[in-house]
Formats: sequence, C-alpha cells, structure tokens
Amino acid sequence: MTTGGMALRARGVQFTYIDPTTHDRLVAIEHIDLEIPEGQFVSIVGPSGCGKSTFLKIVNGLLPDYQGEIEVLQRRSEGSAHAMVFQDAALFPWFSILANVAYGLRCRGIPSKVANERAMPFIRMVGLEGFEAKYPYQLSGGMQQRANLARALTVDPEILLMDEPFAALDAQTRELMQAELLRIWAEARKTVLFITHQIDEAIYLSDRVLVMSARPGRLLADIPIDLPRPRELRIKRTPGFTALADQIWELITPQIRPDVPAAD
Amino acid sequence: MTTESVAHRAPPNPPSTARWRPSERLVFGLLGFVVVLSVWEAVSVLGLVKKVVLSSPTLILNAAIKDISNGVIWPHLQASGTEYVLGFLAALVVGVPVGLAIGLFRRLNYLLDPWLSAIYATPTVALAPLIIIILGIGLEAKVFIVFLEAIFVIVVSTMAGVHAADAHFHDIAESFRASRWMRFRSVVLPASVPYILTGARLGTGRALVGVVIAEFLASNGGIGFYILLNGSILQTARVYFGIVLLGILGVALGEFVRVIERRFDRWRPAIR
Repeated sequence: MTTGGMALRARGVQFTYIDPTTHDRLVAIEHIDLEIPEGQFVSIVGPSGCGKSTFLKIVNGLLPDYQGEIEVLQRRSEGSAHAMVFQDAALFPWFSILANVAYGLRCRGIPSKVANERAMPFIRMVGLEGFEAKYPYQLSGGMQQRANLARALTVDPEILLMDEPFAALDAQTRELMQAELLRIWAEARKTVLFITHQIDEAIYLSDRVLVMSARPGRLLADIPIDLPRPRELRIKRTPGFTALADQIWELITPQIRPDVPAAD
Repeated sequence: MTTESVAHRAPPNPPSTARWRPSERLVFGLLGFVVVLSVWEAVSVLGLVKKVVLSSPTLILNAAIKDISNGVIWPHLQASGTEYVLGFLAALVVGVPVGLAIGLFRRLNYLLDPWLSAIYATPTVALAPLIIIILGIGLEAKVFIVFLEAIFVIVVSTMAGVHAADAHFHDIAESFRASRWMRFRSVVLPASVPYILTGARLGTGRALVGVVIAEFLASNGGIGFYILLNGSILQTARVYFGIVLLGILGVALGEFVRVIERRFDRWRPAIR
C-alpha cells in the first residue's frame, strides 16, 4: 500500500495550461502537497480562477498532463478509486434518474438489470425513491444534485470528488443539501474532497479546510475544523463557527484580485 | 411546484381565453382555406380565366371522385407510395450510419467529403439518364433516384448531430471511464437524435421530389406519370388532383416521422 492509510496523497502537483493557438503558458496550480486520511471530509476554498477545479480534474484523471505525483488508495479490485460529483446540469437529460444513477456501473460493463438493482439502494439513500423513472428535467435542481451524488456513490469510490455541487442551487436548497450531504456522508463513510468558494459551506461540512491562493494556485493554509459532529445547520451561527469563517476570510481577501478573470 | 402556485394565483379570466386559442387557430385556418377556394371557384365560374388553364375546386373534386370510384388512381398511388417509402427508408438506413461514421471519424470525413459535396452539388435529374442506363426503367431505378434525393440531407444533418453533445457530457463519461462504445451510446447518439430526425423530416420532402423526377423521366405508372399524362391531354383538373395526392403522401410520411420524433422526445420538456 503506497498511500499508507491515506485515501489521497499528492506530492508537488503542478499544472500548466498551454494555449493551443498562441502557445502561451498559464500555470494554473503550483506545487500542491496534500494528504487526506481515509474517511476525512476535506474542502478546498479559494478565489475564482485559483485552480481548485483544475486540481480536482487532475485527481479525477481528466487532465493527464500534470507534473508531480498523485496516489489514490485502491483497496479492492471491485469499486472505483474515485468518482466525481459535477456542478449543475450534470445528469444525462436523455436518461431516466435510475439510468443516470446506474451509469457508472454500466460503464464498467455491468448489465443494465444488475446495475439498476445495485443503484436502487443509493437512490433510496439520497431520498429519491419514487422518482427513479423520471427524467432530469422533471426534477428540481436540488433533486438533480441528489441523483448526481447517488451516481458517484453507486460506483463505491474510495474518494468522492465534489466540484461545487451546490453552486447553482438557491440559498435555502443549498443549506438543506449541505445537511443532507452530511447525513449521507455519515451513512456512506466515504473520503470526500469538496471544492467550493463558499467559506461557510466548507466549514460546515469539513474536517479540514484548505485555503488556496490566487493563480497560480498554492495551498496557503490547512485549517482543522474541530466543531463537534453531528452538526446541525444552526452551528453556523455559533461563535466558534464565525471565528473560523473570519480566519479564512482574512486569508482569502488579499487573494481576490478583481482584474483576474475566472477560469474555472 | 412553482407553476402550480402560479396557476392558483392567476386571475379567473386567462384560462378561458387560453382554452379558446386552439379553436381560434382552427377557425382562421379554415377561413383562409374557404376564402381561397371560393375565390378560385368564382374566378372559374365567371370565366375570367379559361377552365383548361385554371380548372376549379369543383371540377377537381369531380375528377377525383371519378378516378377514385373507377379505380384508375389506385395503381398510380400504389406505385408512387412504394417508390417513396422504399427510397426513403433506404436513405434512412444508409444515411444515418454513414452520417454517424463521417461525424465520428475525422479521416473518413476527409476521404468522403469531396465526393459528398460533388454529388450533392450535382442535380439528381442530371444523373437520372445514367441511373436508367445502369438500373433500367423498373422500380429499382426509381427507388434509387428517391434514395439519392433524400440521403444527403440525412447524412449532413446526422454528421452535425455527432458534434451536438455538450463537451461537459463527454467529461462525465470520461470520468466514469466509459468505453468508446459506451460513450457513443450514452452521449453521442442521444444528443444526435434530434438532428437525425430533422434530417429525416427534410428527407421526406426531398424523397417526394425524387418520386416526381423518377416518374417524369421514365415510367408508365405513379402519380408523377398521372400528372404528366393528364397534363399532356389538357385534363387540368386531374393534374391538380395528382398534385393534391402528392401533398397527401408527403404529409403522411412527414407525420410518420413526427410520431417517431415524439417517442424520442420523452426526455424533453414539452414545447408550448
């Protein structure tokens, strides 16, 4: 086991975008070192365009041309090392909810009948029972993201990668989904790497919050969140919580440069 | 849920006007139809234009009733219908896979594109004598002309459909390690279906042109032949009747495609 009990270990990860026409080089992230123990919920926050989504894509294998080392724990031959929960509109609109949730299994060559059977418990887990025959357009944004989460859980990943999954939701639905995610996380017992630009979301959900600098993205701070679990939404209004929020805000504020266009 | 609450709060009047809208559409549609036919009939009855040139709705109706009741029209309708359906289906069966293949494989596109452009730019009528030399004047030649007329819109539209899927969906497929085949089935094909069906609908119109071309050039049956024959003996009413029949054929096949389209459209919110 190279990862030594770590669900994810990244060493000196760097990524440079090269513009295909002008050949301009843009260093998106620079020298990221990171270890995530199994079962931990870790969030990365940072200003827009800091490369946090780029880092997630690298871990997910969507950007193979990175420098450095990334190791993801893989204990079983069955099951995936990682699965991604995407931002909004990530379900295939032409598939039913059930077919969407079973998609990861289908991609592994599991016949649809078996895949559907194995997807059902996860549909129940995210609270979508009774909606499995619906198409995505028939569901609200929050329900679509529940299905998106179920799809990632169905492949039984060692680490769940979440790329601002609640960014497109309205404020109230977002809060509810945060609480739901914690419930599901407790039930599914997964390691989570969560990307967000919302500081309170990161604190509420996480065991650790990593703060990223403006581009080129580096890790500025690694802040443990030792608020007791299970957490209820009203913990957001406690002094301990707001102190953490202030601390992170102070790290991020100098990083925000209004002239830098958002790249991710 | 939001639409529900909006409906509850809506004032009582709008629903009743909304219910009237479809029949308003029907009323105006019929009105236009009646006006045109009446003016046509009047012009003909008043002798403003010679009957042999313009005919009239009642003359056409009489001719239609006569040729339907004595059975003259059926073999023609059957001949045209056969050419139409066979030629169109062949174009669909060949055109969709070819369009998908060209869309998927860049090198195949480079290889075939000059040929496609050249054949597409050449009017099918110009090719007809060649087709008749090769295939004779039987059903095969006519079906082939219909096929040739219909296939290009189907191929071109399908090709466009291959690249219609949002890059986002390819990312999702890739993140789940979808095989090429799985990606084709789950992303490329579903996203291209609306394009394929649009191509098919345009193809039904082109195929009908093919039917008329084929029958004008060499035939002893079919609606095109019926029109040509009656035109040459100044049976103007029958010429119009033939044109109406062609229109009906076109609408029928177009509706057939629309029914298929609706089956594939379940995943989309209904328009209107």
